[in-house]
Amino acid sequence: MQRDALARTGALIRHNVLLMLREPGPLASRMILPLVFLLLLHPLYEQAQGQRAGVTQAVVATIVTFSMLAMSIAGGSILTERIWHTWERLRASAAHPAELLVGKATPVLAALVLQQAAVIVFGVAVLGLRVSALPLLVLVMLAWGVTLTGMGAALGLLVGSLSSLSACYDIGGMLLSSLGGALVPLTAMPAWIRHAAPVSPGYWAVSALEAALRGDAGRAVLASVVLLAFAAGACLTAGIRAGRGWGRALRV
Amino acid sequence: MLEASGLVKRYGDRHALDGFDLAVSEGEITGLVGHNGAGKTTFVEIVTGLVRADAGKVTVCGIDALRDSRRARRLIGVAPQEQALYVTATVRDNLRLFGALAGLRGVRLRQAIEQVAAELRLSDVLGQRTGLLSGGQRRRTQAAVALLGEPRLLLLDEPTAGADPETRQALLAAVRRRAAAGVAVVYTTHYLPELADLGATLAVAREGRVIARGSQQSLMHGLPGELRLRFDDAADGEGDPRGSTRDRASCVAGGRDGPVSILTDGVAEGRALAVAARPAAAPSDRVSPAAAGRWPLPAQLASRARTVGGELRISSADPPGDLAALLAAGCAPVSVDVRKPDLDDLYRAIAAEVPGAA
Repeated sequence: MQRDALARTGALIRHNVLLMLREPGPLASRMILPLVFLLLLHPLYEQAQGQRAGVTQAVVATIVTFSMLAMSIAGGSILTERIWHTWERLRASAAHPAELLVGKATPVLAALVLQQAAVIVFGVAVLGLRVSALPLLVLVMLAWGVTLTGMGAALGLLVGSLSSLSACYDIGGMLLSSLGGALVPLTAMPAWIRHAAPVSPGYWAVSALEAALRGDAGRAVLASVVLLAFAAGACLTAGIRAGRGWGRALRV
Repeated sequence: MLEASGLVKRYGDRHALDGFDLAVSEGEITGLVGHNGAGKTTFVEIVTGLVRADAGKVTVCGIDALRDSRRARRLIGVAPQEQALYVTATVRDNLRLFGALAGLRGVRLRQAIEQVAAELRLSDVLGQRTGLLSGGQRRRTQAAVALLGEPRLLLLDEPTAGADPETRQALLAAVRRRAAAGVAVVYTTHYLPELADLGATLAVAREGRVIARGSQQSLMHGLPGELRLRFDDAADGEGDPRGSTRDRASCVAGGRDGPVSILTDGVAEGRALAVAARPAAAPSDRVSPAAAGRWPLPAQLASRARTVGGELRISSADPPGDLAALLAAGCAPVSVDVRKPDLDDLYRAIAAEVPGAA
């Protein structure tokens, strides 16, 4: 029985990876654009904050901003199931809902973590970024990836079309990452923004990533826990929405 | 194989199912027919575990499909009416996913894909994206997904809707083969000849219940068909053929109280012809069949006649007899079609018989 479940989950993961690769444009742009952004803007950050702090800020800003925009990978993956009427067909199969969830989430999470990893590797290899605690950084990247996957899935379940989804990610992603101090350090922002910043998951992502890069385990773990709380909230929203007949397509 | 009894499902005040009963045996093909809102969708959603029933019982091969939905779903193949395929993936990718979810793996999965593709004439397009397929090929892919994994129960929703003859034949043959192998099939369609081809029994759903069940012959027996007569429009030499047909269809019948004129002019299409009684004492008003191409409509047909789109239509349980009566009265149509009773006739007849079904 467990073997069957693993086989089904494996088939779902494989299929969702394949769907991403069949339409590689969105994934490729989410991977390449951050690197271009980082390459072009890191001198600005270095000039403002010095070499080490500037590179760290540039890398963190790039990761948080572009990973928030990359939530569209999660939302798009969910929404297309409804557009194609395949979600109900999956639900009518022998697969357990948890298998469907893992099958959909794993490739998305992998893509989001890979995007972060690409920026980090680029930062280390090209810009001289220093990573003090790699395992801690990996944990933070995973926590942030889970949060993004949950929020992306929730948005994918809440909106009704790909264009609405795109607008939500573009506006919301930019807003939340800016509010979180990703693009411009919070110290340079007005006081009211500094007070409002913790409501944005972007704030906690910036905080967790900076802490992990400098080796501050306490701060990194705390921020990661907050991120996972955001993820739990998003998953709860998604679960409630999915439980209310989302994606009903069978018309017999 | 499939037994559903007393299924109830409410959405607010509306009863989607209201005591829905249906049993389908091994190897039996049941044509589930009914208008939109009859409860067919909800029934299938409950059988496949997508929706919870408020009351009732469903078993698939003895498994309680309401309590142990996942176990039951392993035995079911579903082909929804709407295309439910990953359009950016190939036919093979789609079949591989749903085959794997149905429990097939490795060589068995590959063989099953090849086999069902050959059966539904999809072998040449296995490597093509489903979004690029023709409508018929997509229909066949839909059905192929349902057929994978050797289901014991097939739920097929209008699998041939909009399909070309080749697709239709391939699908019907595949369904027949599955039924011959003992698979129970629930097949929805609005095209009754298809169910006749399949030798299916009928289950007529209406307002959340199955109101009639039996062979097509037994349910349709005695239902009236329809005679459809068209007249020579050009003979009038008028510009509007529908108008001229109406004139031709205007006729005079002998009623109980005297001659009765049935005039189509001014009567809305699709409604019964206006019947105007004339005094029996005015036989001279009777129009000669020869005059202006008019002819007397036999009295026994008057209450069953109507015009639709320039045709004279007569509901008839005895088309040859009624046609003979018309010809004897001088009616000279250019074409006569005899339409067999269809689903609407069946609904109307059942509605008249079943209290509360109308």
